[in-house]
Amino acid sequence: MFIRTDDKITTTQTSIFITDSVLGAGILTLPRSVIEAAQTPDVWLSVIVGGFIVILVALVMVKLSQQFPNHTVYQYAKRIVGTVPGGMLSVCLIIYFIVIAGFEVRVFAEVTMYYLLEGTPIWAIVIPFIWVGAYISSGGINSIARVFQIIFPISIFILVLSYFLSIRIFEIDNLRPVLSEGLVPVFKGLKSTVLIFTGFEVIMNLVAHMQHPEKAVKATFTGIGIPFVLYLMTVIVVIGGMSVDSVLNSTWPTIDLLRSFEITGLIFERFEFPFLVIWMMQLFCNFTSFYFNASLGISQVFGFKIQTVIFGLIPAIFITTLLPERINEVFKLGDSIGKMGIALFFLVPVLLSFIFIFRKKVLKQNV
Amino acid sequence: MYRHKYVLIIGLLSSLVVIQGCWSSKEIEDLSVYAGLALDVGERTAMERDLESQGAKYYKRDLVTATVQIVPIKSFERQEKSKEKQVLKYSNLRLTGDSVFEIMRQYSTRRDRPVIGHHLKVIVVSTKLAQQQNMDQLMDFVLRDNDIRPSCRVFFSKGRAYDTFLSDQPEEVPSFRINSLIQNSYRTNKVLQEVNLTQLDGLIHSKQSFLLQNIVTSNGQIEFAGAGIIKGDKGKWIGDLNQENVESVSWVKGTGQGGVIKSYDWRNETISYEIKSMKSKTTVKLKGDALSFHVAIESTGRLIENWDPEENPSEMAYLERAEKVFEERLKKMIDNLMWKMQTKYKVDVAGFGKHLSIKYPHKWKEVKGNWDEVFSQVPVTFDITFKITDFGSSTK
Repeated sequence: MFIRTDDKITTTQTSIFITDSVLGAGILTLPRSVIEAAQTPDVWLSVIVGGFIVILVALVMVKLSQQFPNHTVYQYAKRIVGTVPGGMLSVCLIIYFIVIAGFEVRVFAEVTMYYLLEGTPIWAIVIPFIWVGAYISSGGINSIARVFQIIFPISIFILVLSYFLSIRIFEIDNLRPVLSEGLVPVFKGLKSTVLIFTGFEVIMNLVAHMQHPEKAVKATFTGIGIPFVLYLMTVIVVIGGMSVDSVLNSTWPTIDLLRSFEITGLIFERFEFPFLVIWMMQLFCNFTSFYFNASLGISQVFGFKIQTVIFGLIPAIFITTLLPERINEVFKLGDSIGKMGIALFFLVPVLLSFIFIFRKKVLKQNV
Repeated sequence: MYRHKYVLIIGLLSSLVVIQGCWSSKEIEDLSVYAGLALDVGERTAMERDLESQGAKYYKRDLVTATVQIVPIKSFERQEKSKEKQVLKYSNLRLTGDSVFEIMRQYSTRRDRPVIGHHLKVIVVSTKLAQQQNMDQLMDFVLRDNDIRPSCRVFFSKGRAYDTFLSDQPEEVPSFRINSLIQNSYRTNKVLQEVNLTQLDGLIHSKQSFLLQNIVTSNGQIEFAGAGIIKGDKGKWIGDLNQENVESVSWVKGTGQGGVIKSYDWRNETISYEIKSMKSKTTVKLKGDALSFHVAIESTGRLIENWDPEENPSEMAYLERAEKVFEERLKKMIDNLMWKMQTKYKVDVAGFGKHLSIKYPHKWKEVKGNWDEVFSQVPVTFDITFKITDFGSSTK
């Protein structure tokens, strides 16, 4: 097989990279969090609206990144607003990426310990996960992208298959009435549907690594489009299969949906197990993506060698993973990450773009 | 180069740590797999009283007697080897307490192999217990637990729930029998559609009334007999519907997959109608503040039994006359159901509330809190149309 020597990724790889950065632990709790906010079955509309907002923001990010070929957000932030403010901004992004990486591992560990490996201590689950993540990250973006390419079709297939099999308990009446309380609940639901797309921010670093940066818009559309469709499916299938009241009472509604039926005669009678095992790989991709982006940031902002940073980050991520003691704190951390994500990634690109256009058009500076 | 080899060896050796295999694996032979859970009103058995008198006591109230039906793995092998002696394929274990989880763990003081809930298929609750305790309380543990799957089905038992776990057929596991029986709803609409834990959770928390399949027992035989009503706001059992009422519910909801309507013709001879399809359409009318429902039921079927030798079922006129007889019979059945729902128990268990919530969500929000009371005053009209499409393989 042809092995690339330059650390560039193709357009398809970019799309998969974005998809794998978005699809993570959120899918396990999405139906509950969005219904908690909206209280009606119309939340699938929130997912649609949320998806469009996210695509718009992603477009701003791509357009901005395309102005600085071969530069990641850590590098061009400095050029737009100066070394110190740009550096501070980058540090915020780095902290965000570390926390979210730790969070993904923690959710993975919680679900695994409850449903799959009862009795296995948390460190035994978390440490190998981080090790392997560190190993892949040290191979550079190209090897990460290739691993993602292998895992992506498998995990999506199992997910869609599981949803397809749950059709037997699907009842359309659970999704009705539509818009019984107008559009207000739909907008309330937006709060959590925008959050689940966190992860798409990696596009600000990916454009610099693309072989054809001019195709970044297309890659972003596909990359966000796939999770968009899957999230929409998740919300519809889970609410249709379980009813609003039941989803509200479930800690992990998507897993409970798969636990609510048995299929006799197929290879697997119970689909939560293959789903959880495969989804573990998806969470791994998710984690690796954030891990790599955090390491990249530290090495570019502070000028360390990336290998050193990757291995140095292992304890930092391990500690973030184990920081929350109760599951409530884990969920709370998830909420805070979402809020941080909105603050950082909705304001940063917009603000940077604004300053960039201002300096270029009004002050006629060469940025 | 030498140093690299050294690092590699260390790396490979340390990787052995992570490929040890499953840390938390347990051999299935060391576990007791239970397939059924029966919950009864707390009543200590003679053996329990005896054990307690010798000091096997702990701090509890005797609210619930939980029975687990264990399917012993070993008995299967044994049976194949020695055919002469039939070994019971199940064993029931009973304990009393006031926390289902504590009882589950208490079994470990009685059995060498701990019980494990991965393969729990049916939960039977006695109506007497459901009258005393909230369903929400009784189902809390099974919904929270990680081993018990929410695909597990829930039933009521008219007598002791423990009795449904006994069988006069030694080679039969009673909880599997109950589990398979529910699938017969395509043969007769006297069998209610299954209610699993996920659905039950939703039903309980919607605070609306609902039905659970009733089981009656006699000397190791069981029968599905009607359904128990859980009153939404209290979450407790308040009464029963009989088999015909359950049939009628399936007609009103249009959910039945098959079954029979039997009636007597003008000479008082038996005639039976085999349901091929049933459809029902409920329309909600809201004029000002006055609410009303109209249910249009349509069905096609076959004249499958005729005890009247004077008549010729292949004649059009006869079929049309027979259709009227069946329509009237169903009308009577539904009237009885409506009387029970609106007058006797004052509950809506036939999904009228759902229709209202879809059509007039604002009105629903207003009456949701005391829907059962509101429903008892709402006029409901029916329009039943039967069509006998064929008369089977004999013309006479």
